[in-house]
Amino acid sequence: MFPVRCFTCGAVIAHLWEEYKKKLAEGKSPKEALDELGIERYCCRRMFLTYKSIINEVARFKGAVG
Amino acid sequence: MEVEYVEDREDKIVFIIKNVPVALVNSIRRAIIGHVPTMAVDYINVYMNTSFLYDEMLAHRIGLIPLKADIDKYNFQDKCECGGEGCPNCQVSLRLNVEGPKTVYSGDFISDDPEVKPVYDNIPVVELYEGQQLMIEAVARLGTGKEHAKWKPVSICSYKIIPKIEISDCSLCKACVEACPRKILEIKGEKIVVNDILKCSMCMECVKVCEDNAIKVEETDNYLFTIESISMPAKEVLKRAINILKNKAVEMNEILKHINS
Repeated sequence: MFPVRCFTCGAVIAHLWEEYKKKLAEGKSPKEALDELGIERYCCRRMFLTYKSIINEVARFKGAVG
Repeated sequence: MEVEYVEDREDKIVFIIKNVPVALVNSIRRAIIGHVPTMAVDYINVYMNTSFLYDEMLAHRIGLIPLKADIDKYNFQDKCECGGEGCPNCQVSLRLNVEGPKTVYSGDFISDDPEVKPVYDNIPVVELYEGQQLMIEAVARLGTGKEHAKWKPVSICSYKIIPKIEISDCSLCKACVEACPRKILEIKGEKIVVNDILKCSMCMECVKVCEDNAIKVEETDNYLFTIESISMPAKEVLKRAINILKNKAVEMNEILKHINS
């Protein structure tokens, strides 16, 4: 799941995650999307750029173990 | 002491304080980060959790969700009449009862006190798949940033010196204009002028590169203060911090009087 806050500065960022995803789906570059969302600092920006959802990977193995 | 706002929004303020000792500016910063109370979830009862996240993970995520609350209405748990056991005067329960498939958002919490609710309704907490269920009671209480970062009322709270740049006997070699990483120096006519002094980071690149030693960057007693708030307006954070500082100073005076007598 997407981190609720930026690890470094503590700003809340999770409420922008879905909007960010929508903007990427519209064909915008991450830079454009982040600029439009008003995320200035590079600590918060890297949270979006480097995030990878693990929960749907785990979901594939539901019921396989335990 | 003079205060001048550079940027004035509800969630972010930037202002200049002039002619103030660093110690005072720093104590304001520390009071904001560590002493202004806010509401956050601190304890959760998990009745049912068949999601992919562990209970602890959920507790951590729920704790980080900022809550809007009327802080003056609540007591600190350790100073409450109930003696820290937990009563409606010092804590609020937020209930969550959902079934998958669904993404659970912070807005799905049902609060006991309608005034205490998440600042944002669309923070994803956990993704539930077919047949998964979540039954949680989250207990929020007042706390301060010195206990845990989730109670911090601000994200960015910092100050920097506004330096004074003096240029004399310049030969206009343009070396400093090119060396400045923030591009605040400019040639205008026969002189080098400073464009935006607030941007200067005092990296001293211009001083190092100047062959005539014509440029001087000096510290002053003026500071640029930035506050970016999370759960209440930035100005309110500042006001509360200053009040807390004032009370602490009064307390200190009492102690000093006591020692002297």
